[in-house]
Amino acid sequence: MRKILLLVFAGALMSGGTAYAHHSLAATYHADQEVKLDGKIIDFLFRNPHSFLQIEAPDEKGVMQRWSLEWRSSGQLGQQGIKRDTLKVGDEVVVTINPSRTPADHRGALKTLHRKSDGFGWGDKPGDTIE
Amino acid sequence: MDVKRILGLLFLAVLPAFAQLDLSGVWADRITEDSYERSGGPPLGDYQGIPLNDAGRMKADSHDHEEWSLPEFQCRPHPGPYQWRALGAVRISEEIDPVSRELTAFHFEYLRSMERPIWMDGRPHPPEYALHTWSGFSTGKWVGNMLVITTTHLKGAYLRRNGASFSDKATMMEYITRHGDYLLVTMIVTDPVWLEEPFIQTTNYELDPHTTLSYYPCTVSEENISKAVPHFLPGQNPNLGADDIPQVGARGGKESTYPEFRLKLQAGTAKEPHSGLAAKMAPSRFDLPPTADSEIKVLPVQGNVYMLIGAGGNITASIGRDGILLVDSGTAAMSTKVMAKVLELATALTSSPMPNHCVGLHCPGTPYGWTSPSLNAIISSPAPPKPIRYIINTSVDADHTGGNERLSALPADAKIVGVTFPPVGIAPGATIIAHENVLTRMSQPGPGEKAAPVNAQPSDTYHSDSYKLSEFFNGEGIRIIHQPAAHTDGDSMVFFRYSDVISAGDILNTDSYPVIDVAKGGTIQGVLDGLNKILDIAIPEFRSQGGTLVIPGHGRLCDTGDLANYRNMVAIMRDRIQDLVNKGMTLEQVKAAKPTMDYDGLYGSDTGPWTTSMFIEAAYKTLKKQGKGK
Repeated sequence: MRKILLLVFAGALMSGGTAYAHHSLAATYHADQEVKLDGKIIDFLFRNPHSFLQIEAPDEKGVMQRWSLEWRSSGQLGQQGIKRDTLKVGDEVVVTINPSRTPADHRGALKTLHRKSDGFGWGDKPGDTIE
Repeated sequence: MDVKRILGLLFLAVLPAFAQLDLSGVWADRITEDSYERSGGPPLGDYQGIPLNDAGRMKADSHDHEEWSLPEFQCRPHPGPYQWRALGAVRISEEIDPVSRELTAFHFEYLRSMERPIWMDGRPHPPEYALHTWSGFSTGKWVGNMLVITTTHLKGAYLRRNGASFSDKATMMEYITRHGDYLLVTMIVTDPVWLEEPFIQTTNYELDPHTTLSYYPCTVSEENISKAVPHFLPGQNPNLGADDIPQVGARGGKESTYPEFRLKLQAGTAKEPHSGLAAKMAPSRFDLPPTADSEIKVLPVQGNVYMLIGAGGNITASIGRDGILLVDSGTAAMSTKVMAKVLELATALTSSPMPNHCVGLHCPGTPYGWTSPSLNAIISSPAPPKPIRYIINTSVDADHTGGNERLSALPADAKIVGVTFPPVGIAPGATIIAHENVLTRMSQPGPGEKAAPVNAQPSDTYHSDSYKLSEFFNGEGIRIIHQPAAHTDGDSMVFFRYSDVISAGDILNTDSYPVIDVAKGGTIQGVLDGLNKILDIAIPEFRSQGGTLVIPGHGRLCDTGDLANYRNMVAIMRDRIQDLVNKGMTLEQVKAAKPTMDYDGLYGSDTGPWTTSMFIEAAYKTLKKQGKGK
């Protein structure tokens, strides 16, 4: 199964002509774990080599934390229709992430995102995420 | 892998020979067997197929991938030896001399790396003390229709995105052949520090006129990692062995590069690799002290600034219309040669006959603003260069202050002297600036030491965090920054603000572990703080490379990327030794634990005045005195 997924990913990359890898995702995050966060956007860094969504959300103990969520590069997000002003500071969102291998850093690789106010979502459509 | 066999096959493949094949175009990666590298990334701890030696494996095992989120590494491009397996196309273009139509260079561009010239014009590789880059310095030649590229001057970086690394002592050969629309790249990386055999890798590309390389700016931002350098202590990496790859293979080593290794795995006879070799010890700089036969070499750095190598410690020279400013003066024995070289350089730069580029009545820059029949004689006889006006000492060490007396002496009729004008009857001399503690140590030596001659001692001192020259020198402001308790208690770094060069003194030595003079107030934490201070000031030109350049006390020229590599090493050494101190180990137990083993091939020495053992002892003493760390 893992090989099939890799081939699907490779095929998507070849057809899209885009690039994802900079640092190794597998080395940075637990690809086999998912964490759900319910919080508020405090910053959106739309950039290369990776975009970052900074949100404020409680951790598993209920303590409010600043989370740094790694997203795709600005070029890749742009191809998917996501622009610098798609997300705004203060937007309430629910996200799922692959958590960091260093939990104290409160960061993760963004898997899905849903905005509460209008139902805008990312991560559910083909090509949105990398499995 | 047998290098000779590979090269023999390659050579046969390219016969019959005809030179200068056209390689231009955009070549796309076709992700097949290399998907492992080009996709989301390899698992941590998987070094199969990489001939790591024991030191290389220790280095890789300490890798915490959050290191990539350090500000200095977020925009780091893929290094030359990794690039061929990185995602994205390569564009190859030719630089042709328009007159002779000779090939000057190939230019290789990759999606996320630096533009990489391959010089085909016969130029030599730079001297060893020149700047290293992520792609290295490459020259090429044709062997039949095969392009053979030799690359040196690489910065240390990764062979695989999980910590398997090559050092800045590595060299790379590439053999590129074209078969119709396919490109075959055979890369052979040799690294005496972290590899026990050359690492050989082949990769294919396909000509694809529909592929483009997009604009790829990069911005550093906050990524929520700790301020410390991320790494794992020996034996404490929780990510090793976490994947489904047999550990005996995942540990890498030369055996794992051969096809027969699969059979051994299947038969259960494969063994965990152990190179059985300590990393080769680099010769210490102290093993090669300057002698009467030594020559002073000059490396132009940036703006007004030059680096002089071979006088003991490196000397930084600012040369221009205001005269000469030196940072450090080398050893006393080399001072006559330094003086001759500095004056030769100043004469070439400021006092050499230059051709007149303007004829007529409106010639700005000529002595009278216009040309006259006598101008040729005037420009053929320029004024002599102005003298050395300042010497700044970065520490009290004899290989940095030994030339003070000789180099600060000015002719009795000197018109320009330092800012401290001498009282009547005192011979004029260049102003010698240093931190106050340098003057204290030179004028009030310890038991058994002799005071330095008065004319060798600093004439101007400062005792605060920093000191600025009161006026521009050679058109720029110069700031001196004190770093407490680092190499010694009197260390200074000198920042040339327009030239954008920092002279670091012995806070940075690229050819040894930090020299920590505990008796003179040095500490490993101070060295680390000093390196971080330089990184805070430095701004790379692009992708963690170039921009602010840093001249070390000893060793080669550096930039942000080099400094980050060295800073990381010092932080890792501090943390490892601190951990052993915290466990209550004695000094001998700490030495026996070999906490420096992975870096000994780069910075260690068994002989000379600064050995690995002495470094561990100095770090141990200062960390123990400091108390329990993290």
